[in-house]
Amino acid sequence: MALLDFQRNYYQLFDLPQEFLLDQAQLGARYRQLQMELHPDRYASASAHEQRLAVQYSALVNAAYTALRKPLDRAVYLLELAGMGSEEISSQQVDGGFLIAQMELREKLESMTGMVDPQSALDRLITEIGEDVIELQGVFSVAYSAGEFPKAAAACVKMQYLDKLLLEAEILETSLLDG
Amino acid sequence: MALLQIAEPGQSPLPHQVKRAVGIDLGTTNSLVATVRGGRAVVLPDAQGAVMLPSVINYGAADSPIVGASALALAARHPADTLMSVKRFMGRGRNDAEEDARRSHYSLAEGEEGMVSFLTSGGKISPVEASAEILRVLSQRAVDTIGGEIDGAVITVPAYFDEAQRQATKDAATLAGLPVLRLMNEPTAAAVAYGLDADGQGVIAVYDLGGGTFDISILRLHKGVFEVLATGGDTALGGDDLDAVLADWLLQESGSGTLEAGEYRQLQASARSAKEKLSEAVIVDVDLSEVLPGGGIISVSRDKLEQMIQPLVKRTLLACRRCLRDAQLEEGVDNIVMVGGSTRVPLVRSAVADFFGRTPLLGIDPDQVVAVGAAVQADILVGNRPEGDLLLLDVIPLSLGIETMGELVEKIVPRNTTIPVSRAQEFTTYKDGQTALAVHIVQGEREMVSDCRSLAHFELRGIPPMVAGAARIQVTFQVDADGLLGVSAREEITGAEASVMVKPSFGLTDEEITGMLQASFSHAEDDKRVRQLAEQRLSAWQLLDGLKSALEKDGDALLVAHEREALADQMTELQSLIDGEDAHAIRQKTEQLGRESETFASRRMDKSIREALAGVSLDSLDDEVMQ
Repeated sequence: MALLDFQRNYYQLFDLPQEFLLDQAQLGARYRQLQMELHPDRYASASAHEQRLAVQYSALVNAAYTALRKPLDRAVYLLELAGMGSEEISSQQVDGGFLIAQMELREKLESMTGMVDPQSALDRLITEIGEDVIELQGVFSVAYSAGEFPKAAAACVKMQYLDKLLLEAEILETSLLDG
Repeated sequence: MALLQIAEPGQSPLPHQVKRAVGIDLGTTNSLVATVRGGRAVVLPDAQGAVMLPSVINYGAADSPIVGASALALAARHPADTLMSVKRFMGRGRNDAEEDARRSHYSLAEGEEGMVSFLTSGGKISPVEASAEILRVLSQRAVDTIGGEIDGAVITVPAYFDEAQRQATKDAATLAGLPVLRLMNEPTAAAVAYGLDADGQGVIAVYDLGGGTFDISILRLHKGVFEVLATGGDTALGGDDLDAVLADWLLQESGSGTLEAGEYRQLQASARSAKEKLSEAVIVDVDLSEVLPGGGIISVSRDKLEQMIQPLVKRTLLACRRCLRDAQLEEGVDNIVMVGGSTRVPLVRSAVADFFGRTPLLGIDPDQVVAVGAAVQADILVGNRPEGDLLLLDVIPLSLGIETMGELVEKIVPRNTTIPVSRAQEFTTYKDGQTALAVHIVQGEREMVSDCRSLAHFELRGIPPMVAGAARIQVTFQVDADGLLGVSAREEITGAEASVMVKPSFGLTDEEITGMLQASFSHAEDDKRVRQLAEQRLSAWQLLDGLKSALEKDGDALLVAHEREALADQMTELQSLIDGEDAHAIRQKTEQLGRESETFASRRMDKSIREALAGVSLDSLDDEVMQ
């Protein structure tokens, strides 16, 4: 195993099974353990070459952690390992029912600024989206483990939609708080 | 194989010898230096017992500038020659700095492109040079107290400092002849200072209201690892601004008209002192009879002060909220660390406590906490704690990107990404037959190039003529542990390459720094040669030392016989070169040996990955058994 191999598969770097569901505490512990060994601070009085190498290794560990830490990033990364690029993922067909539900959620969000108590309506909406996300993660996990990558990719695209919506909801929340 | 003899008295430090490391808080208003002695971090006082060095430099008629309290005493009489708050001007362009300069009553050098410099009786002075004077004084103080040259220093910068400001700080250290181990973010340093006493778990918010900047950072501490989750702030808001609102109000109340530069300085000082007193008293009388023409005694109540500074405090809380959101916490904040003298203001304390729902930690003097944390980190980096009980994982404060078509910014490394980081993105040509590509690197959160900070330009040439869109140009950003950026571009088909270590547009060039360094030595040429030889020898020793212990530990396991012999031969050659006087040859050989030992170094790192993970697995097994 060497730097190049670890670049090819972040799961191997952390010595974790290549699955969507992972133990966050374990991932965090392994991340910190690896940085304890590889971070440039550990090589502050080493030769310039070793320092440069430490920067590369440490950066790789950071990249790997970023790719696996959040569910959506992890799903995209797993599909990439299965040979699907981002273009292929986004070209997946999404069923009409989901799209209509999306539009409704979006309309709800947009109408909120005019409400008497937008904050609690927004809270409800955010909870609702959160529940949908959890459900989609389940779909992704099952499909991916079964090797049904197009199905997993479709779930991933839906997760991307909801993620965007959540972001917009958070922006609205900030402007409500600031206003 | 015979082991190489390399430890020589005075040249290569013995493994167990304690090295002299310092932490320096290079502040807007005051600067401090601290070191770890007998396992405890202490701030170092000057001969008069004062710990804080006012960050004030007077460039008068005297040969060398005056720094600190005696310079501060000259501020009112010689405002243009006495530079205060120069940190606000570090790494900033002239246009950028004009407003601040006007407010501080400085004269900027006219008609200059790029970096700011001040016109003083001592000549044109850049903020980097002025900061170097402060660092020299602190460094000398440390040498006198600790008793010997400093092996390494950690210098703190506001977390929100951009690339140019960081580079300027590093340049100042180079000018002052200080060996910098690391630039460290101030809030992180403060968290480290407390981390030693705390029980070592949980989420920490650091609220840092410095003289000229406001920083907020959210960190998680877990078994000795500090992970910065998010950082934010406002580079144009600080304790000075609290003083300024009060000063403006005093001026208005006194009925005096416009002021001379020196008078304004005195007024500001009176305002600051009143603000400080109001942390204890509920009302103070400010005597302006010696400060303003026709000025009398004006009463200020704490309520009045709070009413005036309320909007500024609110601005800091908005930044806190943004930062909390960026940190994406699932749990609450466990501890709040306060940094900066202005956090003594009762309104600031209560507003922060209300916002986070926790009483801030106050165990360490908010003026000293940053220097203390920096000293701890310096002690670790210099190698005084081989067991390494602490590690910092910091982030970049602002997004880095490049200019694309239509003057839009394509972000390559988003803010709050943990460093070090290496990120690549592919681009292509937009015209048929295009043979060169201009790369413009910017920093900031906005979408248009003109709204971001321009960091550097470079060109990738030698792309063979192809149809538009056929070339594959990979642009790689690498940010090191100091938060400094290197960018390289490579055309994949031909292998054409170009790279820059980003020297910001407003920074000093390497030639300028060398020039300034030379000017500061009396026997420039000779000194330079001696210095270079010493530096080359040192890095050769470092490499040999490291390789020797690595070979002892892992040589048998990770190298085959001929690889080991090849390295040993090279080491012997370098060894004999070190005894000679040829700096260039030492440098070349060090470079060569460094390159050729990279495979070995890389195998050792792979090994430590395997061992680290085996360790974790055992740990978690232990945890399960415990449960």
